Amino acid sequence: MLLISVIVDCVSKSYSSGLFSKRYDKILSDISLEITKRKTVGLIGPSGVGKTTLAKIIMGLENPTSGKILIDGTDIWNAPSEERDTSLKKIKMVFQDSQGSLNPKKTIKQSLYDTVNLMGLDASTRESLVLELLDRVGLSSDIFCRYPHQISGGQNQRVALARILLVKPEYVILDEPTSALDIAVQAQILELLNNLQKENNFGYLLISHNIPLIDFMSDEIVVLDKGSIIFRGETKEFTEFNSLKNKNSFKV
Amino acid sequence: MTHHIEELKKLAISKLNLNSIGIIIFLLFLLIAIAAGIISPYNPWQRFEPYTRPNSSHFLGTNDMGNDILSELLFGARVSLIVGFGASIIATILGVTVGIVSGYYRGMMDEILMAITDIYLMIPRIPLIIILAALMRPNFWLIMLLIGFLWWPTTARVVRSSTMQIRDTSFILSAKSLGFSDKHIILSEILPNINHVIIPKFMLTIASAMFSEASISFLGLGDPTMKSWGMMLNFAFMKGGLINEMWWWYLPPGLCIVAVVFSLMLIGFSLEEKENIMLGLE
Repeated sequence: MLLISVIVDCVSKSYSSGLFSKRYDKILSDISLEITKRKTVGLIGPSGVGKTTLAKIIMGLENPTSGKILIDGTDIWNAPSEERDTSLKKIKMVFQDSQGSLNPKKTIKQSLYDTVNLMGLDASTRESLVLELLDRVGLSSDIFCRYPHQISGGQNQRVALARILLVKPEYVILDEPTSALDIAVQAQILELLNNLQKENNFGYLLISHNIPLIDFMSDEIVVLDKGSIIFRGETKEFTEFNSLKNKNSFKV
Repeated sequence: MTHHIEELKKLAISKLNLNSIGIIIFLLFLLIAIAAGIISPYNPWQRFEPYTRPNSSHFLGTNDMGNDILSELLFGARVSLIVGFGASIIATILGVTVGIVSGYYRGMMDEILMAITDIYLMIPRIPLIIILAALMRPNFWLIMLLIGFLWWPTTARVVRSSTMQIRDTSFILSAKSLGFSDKHIILSEILPNINHVIIPKFMLTIASAMFSEASISFLGLGDPTMKSWGMMLNFAFMKGGLINEMWWWYLPPGLCIVAVVFSLMLIGFSLEEKENIMLGLE
C-alpha cells in the first residue's frame, strides 16, 4: 500500500427504503481499488451497476455503508473536517454530461472566474492563469461571453477540464468523459487527457462502458458486475478475460 | 410535430400578450401610488360637504365625512400596494430560505422544516388574523407582518421541490466537487436557476396579500388611520353607502382591488406558463 495514492478499501453501499420496514438495496459490495499517480485505472461495467455511485463515494459526495476511502493516507470519512477538506481538494471529477456540468445561467467566463476565485490569487495572476489554462485545453477567449448551451459538447468538456486544472488536483475521476461526443471529438479529448496526465502526473480513474476506450487508455482495469468486482488486473490480462467471457455471453 | 410546436408558439404569444396587459395595468396602479400626491385633486382627509353625488369638483363625490372619494382612492393605492409588496417580500424571503435549506440539505433539517410548513399550511389564516387583529390594536404594519409571516408556506413548498430537482444535477455536483462552499452553491448556483419559480410566486403572493388586507379591512379590523381600498369599502358599507345605492362610493375601491389582483394574476400565471412552454419546447 502506497501512502501517495487513492485507496478504495472494501467499500459497500446500500440504500434503505421505507421508514418502518427497512429494505436494503445493495448497490456496491466490497469494492477495492487503488489510483496511483501517472497511472490510469479503468472502471468498466454495464450501466446501472454503481460506477457513478462509487465515484461519488470517492469524491466524498455520498457516504459508504461500510469500507474506507484513503486519499494519501487520510481516511476521508473518519478524518477531522479540516483534514478531510484538504484531502478532498486533491481529487476532482469530470462529469459525463459535459454541458450539464456547467451552470446554465452563467457565462463560461463567470464559471471559470468563480473557480479560480476559490484559489484566492490576486487579480492579475487569476486572469493570466485562466487564459493560460484555456489555451492549454485548446480554447480561445472568444467563448468567454457564451453560455454552456451556446458552445459544442467538446468545448464544454474542455471548459470542464480547464475548471479542474484551475484547482490543481492530483487525481481526477473521469466519468464517461467522451460518451456524449462524436468520434472525432472523442479522439481529441482523449489525446488532451493523455497529455494532461503526462504534464501534471495525474492519477486517473476512468469510468466507462466502452471496452475499446478503456482498453486504449488504462494501465489497470477493474470490471464491475452486479455491484461487485469480477475482474481486476492489467490491460493485457483483461483482453484474455474478455475474450473468455465473450464465449460465455458476458456483455459489458 | 412541427404543427404541434407551431401551436405551442401561438399559445406562448397569446400568453405573452396577457402578460403585457397585466404589466400595463399594474404599472398604471404603481404610477398612481407613487404620484398620488401630485395627481390627486385634494388631500384625502380634507372635509367638504358630505354625501355629495359625483360632480365637476368631486368626480366621485364625497363620503360621510365629506372626504373626496377620488383622492381617497388614489392615496389608497399607496396603502394597498405597500401592504401587498411588504407582506409578499417577507413571505418570499421566508419561503425561499426555508425551501432552499430543506431542499438542499434534506435529511433531518428537511423533515423538521417541512413539518413546520405543514402546520402553517393547516392554520386557517384569515380567521387567525381576525382574532389577532381583534386582540391587538389594528395597525397597518402589524397586518403587513402578519400576512407576511402566514403566507410563506406555499412558496417554501414550491422552492423546495425546485431545489430538489436541481440539487442532483451535474453542475451542482461539479460545484460541490470543485470545493465551493454551500453558501456559494445556494446563492450563486441554485438561486439563479430557480428564479423562474420565485418571481411568479412573488407576484401571486402580492395579489393574495392585497386581497387579504382588503378582506380584513372590510371586516373593520384594519387600521382606521390608513385609507386603504378595503377600509374605504368598509366605510361605504358601515355608513350606508350600499343601502343608499351610492355606487360611486363602494364600486371604485372594489374595482381597483379586482384590477390590481387581476393584473398580478395575469403576470404571475403567464410567467409560469411561459416557463412551462419553454420546458415543453426543449
